[in-house]
Amino acid sequence: MKKFKTFTRKYLCLPYGIFMFVFIVMPLIILLMYAFSVKDGTGGLSFEFTFSNFASVFKSDNLAMLGRSLLIGLITTLICLVIGYPVAYLLADKKLRFGPTIVMLFMIPMWVNFLLRTLATKAMFEFIGIEMGMGTVIFGMVYNYLPFMIMPIYTTISKIDYSLVEGAADLGANALVTFRKVIFPLSVPGVLSGITMVFTPTITTFAISKLLSGSKISLIGDYIDLQVEYMNYNVAAAISLVIVLIVGISMLIVNKYDKDSSTMGGGLW
Amino acid sequence: MVKYNKKKIIASVFLGLVIAILYLPIIWLIVFSFTNTTSISNWSGFSLDAYKELFAGASSGEIFSALCNTLFIALIASAISTILGTLAAIGINSLRNKRVKAAYSAVNQIPMVNSEIVSAIGLMLLFGLFKTLIPMQGNVEMVAVIFAHVAFCTPYVVLNVLPRIRQTDNKIYEAALDLGCTPWQALRKVVIPDIMPGIVMGFMMSVTLSVDDFVITNFTIDGFYTLSTLIYSKASGKKPLPIEMRALSAIIFIVILLIMLGITKANQKSKDTSKAVNK
Repeated sequence: MKKFKTFTRKYLCLPYGIFMFVFIVMPLIILLMYAFSVKDGTGGLSFEFTFSNFASVFKSDNLAMLGRSLLIGLITTLICLVIGYPVAYLLADKKLRFGPTIVMLFMIPMWVNFLLRTLATKAMFEFIGIEMGMGTVIFGMVYNYLPFMIMPIYTTISKIDYSLVEGAADLGANALVTFRKVIFPLSVPGVLSGITMVFTPTITTFAISKLLSGSKISLIGDYIDLQVEYMNYNVAAAISLVIVLIVGISMLIVNKYDKDSSTMGGGLW
Repeated sequence: MVKYNKKKIIASVFLGLVIAILYLPIIWLIVFSFTNTTSISNWSGFSLDAYKELFAGASSGEIFSALCNTLFIALIASAISTILGTLAAIGINSLRNKRVKAAYSAVNQIPMVNSEIVSAIGLMLLFGLFKTLIPMQGNVEMVAVIFAHVAFCTPYVVLNVLPRIRQTDNKIYEAALDLGCTPWQALRKVVIPDIMPGIVMGFMMSVTLSVDDFVITNFTIDGFYTLSTLIYSKASGKKPLPIEMRALSAIIFIVILLIMLGITKANQKSKDTSKAVNK
């Protein structure tokens, strides 16, 4: 009986608290430990401190790979923005009345495994006989991540109070001015979460670049994959930390402009 | 009026073009699952070879067991995630200590914000250490993948359930206790039914995420295949894609397409009826 009296609902989060510590926090601590210790032949932890893993990450040929990943990430994000913004804007335009089925058509590809979609593009390029290279990789990236740009922008634009748009028109603003002064500024949070949702996975995905370049172009993700294959866990951990740093910095930059980040996780469904 | 029509035509053409690009590879794959050629130069007409190969070919056993593994992992991991996440959401909501609450929500965000590949490497190293520290027997590999999936699914369950709990009235739970319920009864009979839509949504989302996952599975799996890792292993070689994989992808695309369109239609209908009721 005493047990029931002392029970409060807050204890219900204890199991998940423990779970989170073991499966979310611990992996990050272990990554940190691996990244700063000498390679142990068996793949275990050696507890011998070193910076050499980071030194081998920043070798000159790896710097080119890092740069290439960032470049592909930037180009992909830019193309997704240029195509995705107008799409989201038109879908959200209340006068045009595009129904939910049309909106859904843009979202469905997100639910198909990215591997399958990449495979489809690969098979198509192979079949038509297009040379695999930088162009096909960027096509694959844009193709995979475009819905992730459209979705948050669409969500923010459709949430804009339409009377603001009408008010601007009543006050003499033409369509262009209304867009520039009312709609665009209000859609910035969506644009920013779109940028993070495209940029982060683009610079770290492996498989897409490998499949669509015929293993010619390797990005950070492929490099990690390779290190894991060679059991260079310490180097893999070090480069994972570099990724955490890059993603963290880009998110800080984005969050600086973004005061309402509610569109990021919540809009997924 | 005429002006809007013109605008709509231009908009439709643009959107149609983007949709065409988005679906071109998918439709291409579906169409070409009905022929057995590997390149455009020797088109050989209609054939069901790909499907024959898929259901009764040399590798169909392997594909079927990968499918079973995928579904098994998804269901078990989602069930665990849903229970863990729902309890956590109820608990987090009643936490008074703001710092503990903030810590929970921050750690809960990590798997969603972090790059998949970083989470994957972290989990892989964690499981590696577990294996060296604790001698284990049995189907450890499967358990590892399930735990990895629970780790990235549960945060979404928490995020789906938490807003539901915030909307419910805290006093109802207390009233149930005052009326003689044990806390467990009060949760089961009062709180859980109230937040059920969030729980169902969280479960469905977990299943989708789990079935769809490739990166984390790829680094934590050992000795068996799920659909995504099997497809990757068949596709990453120098050889062109085996034709049975074309048939498999076509089937998966069509199933997902039908499910998503069905959900949209169902949502629309329920919205329409709720509108009619409100009137």
